[in-house]
Amino acid sequence: MNFGFSEEQEELRKMVRRFLEEKSPETEVRRLMATPEGYDPNVWELMAKELALQGLGIPEQFGGQGFGPVELYVVFEEMGAALFCSPYFSTVALAANAVLFVGNDDDKATYLPGIASGETIATVALTDDTGNWDLSATSATATPKGDGFELNGVVNYVTDGNLASIIFVPAKTAKGLSLFALKGDAKGVSRTALATMDQTRKQSRIELHDASATLVGTEGEALGGLTTMLQVAESALAAEQVGGAQRVLNNAVDYAKTRVQFGRPIGSFQAIKHKCADMLLDVESAKSAAYYAAWASQELNDELPIAASLAKSFCSEAYFHCAAENIQIHGGIGFTWEHHAHLYFKRAKSSELFLGDPAYHRELLAQHLDI
Amino acid sequence: MNVVVCVKQIPDPAAPQSFDAQYNLDRSGKLILDEADTYGVEMALQLVDKAGSGEVSVVSMGSANDLAGLRNALAMGAAKAVIVSDDALRGTDALGTAKVLAAVIKRDLPDLILCATESSDGYTGTTPVQLAELLGLPSITFAKSVSVEGSTVKVNRQTEAGYDEVTAPLPCVVTVTAGVVEPRYASFKGIMAAKSKPVEILSVADLGLGDETGTKGAREEITAVVAAESRQAGEKYVDEGDGAEKIVAFLESIKVL
Repeated sequence: MNFGFSEEQEELRKMVRRFLEEKSPETEVRRLMATPEGYDPNVWELMAKELALQGLGIPEQFGGQGFGPVELYVVFEEMGAALFCSPYFSTVALAANAVLFVGNDDDKATYLPGIASGETIATVALTDDTGNWDLSATSATATPKGDGFELNGVVNYVTDGNLASIIFVPAKTAKGLSLFALKGDAKGVSRTALATMDQTRKQSRIELHDASATLVGTEGEALGGLTTMLQVAESALAAEQVGGAQRVLNNAVDYAKTRVQFGRPIGSFQAIKHKCADMLLDVESAKSAAYYAAWASQELNDELPIAASLAKSFCSEAYFHCAAENIQIHGGIGFTWEHHAHLYFKRAKSSELFLGDPAYHRELLAQHLDI
Repeated sequence: MNVVVCVKQIPDPAAPQSFDAQYNLDRSGKLILDEADTYGVEMALQLVDKAGSGEVSVVSMGSANDLAGLRNALAMGAAKAVIVSDDALRGTDALGTAKVLAAVIKRDLPDLILCATESSDGYTGTTPVQLAELLGLPSITFAKSVSVEGSTVKVNRQTEAGYDEVTAPLPCVVTVTAGVVEPRYASFKGIMAAKSKPVEILSVADLGLGDETGTKGAREEITAVVAAESRQAGEKYVDEGDGAEKIVAFLESIKVL
């Protein structure tokens, strides 16, 4: 088990960081988060055309680059650090993985090349009004109609739900949990954008009334694949959280070194030092957990369920703690609404709940460990 | 069409710099591709792409301990790299550098040679034209756009007042300004592929050069290094009804208008 990144992976990190510094500075984040779409189509296209990030983890036979979760880890970490506003997480971590783990080769050939080329923006509708991320609680239903199916029910907190041209919806049929591909603008699909606390990641509530959809994979057999997809996505989210936590730590330390109070930098005061040291401890431990989850996602071994829940629960709390402490270290300016500390704080909170909060994942961990 | 881009690996400008006793910049640490050179690499890739055939090679001189900068150019899409690295080159001046680059390029003369207008660590800005002279080729400097039509290169050459349209027969040397094109981002596949692309490391002897390079061959000598003058405070004008005229006069003085 090697936890070091290769020279090429470090190069990828540099390239992605440069891209985000140039294309997603704080001014762009603020501009985009105020728009309904929440992303810049030109940047999305450039990212697909030159960096080919949308297809990074998609096999070459389906139009991708043929790499995996470890390379994607690097990308998600940088995107989390930059609060990159785009449907990347929805499209790559959720939708592409749903097709990869649930779909058959025909489904992969249908959906993955569009995702890899940047043409398709997609998402997965994972929960309903209850906000329960447990797949067994899926309430959407599907009934056969003609060649396809019709979906009914309500899905909620769907990331980039208003933007996605394809929404993958897990729904129950007579045979059990199945996955369906729904066109975003299909008849019977009514999408409402939610007013989110974290404006950098858009969410929708979607009502489905006899909306026609196409089956992905085999009817009644989606549970296993969707469970894996969720674990891989949780690992990716943990990577984003690590990136964000590291960035707020850097911001806090930079500020503590330069802000002078009582004739000396505030970083020289013990109370500030302790806060920074605790944040570092959080960040380093979160990194270890997220690396473990990325490795398990790559290997797809039986450690994945444990590693994913471990990373998601720990990184959620670590990021939130760091984001909150960052505000404290910044003092008065940190409490100013316009300060970037708040953008991170809100992202930390929304990521903490997204795909299941720490208590939910600790419960899963306990179940996996037979406690 | 084959294009050679002369590139330089430089110490990261964001990192603290230090000099030795002869005022040579310390290059023992991490080296990166000079950002000014990324424009040339991009321009070359676009020209070759448009021509439909040929390849881009990068040629460099300097320490080969760290090839990250050259790998960067290869990841963007250049096919191969040549670097002349030799302790004997220590202290080489701009003319010496041009001699080394010319010796490499002469081995297999391309259709076009692109350079940055100047490096971001030396700023002499003289190497490209010296290179052209040594190769016996025409040169066009300060290109803000470059296109190739048949065996002619057409350049919009940046001037103080605007630009001149200049043409020259190929092969020739062209220096490109920053912003001539937007350098592409490399994909991870490109980064991986760069690892297996050929990087030829040559010594001075390999090129049949000797005392015309290095400290011995240098006609320049650095006698002192002083810190750049810090920026002065701007001039304040009070608008007494003639504010607009003063602004126009100022813009004219810096040749913006």
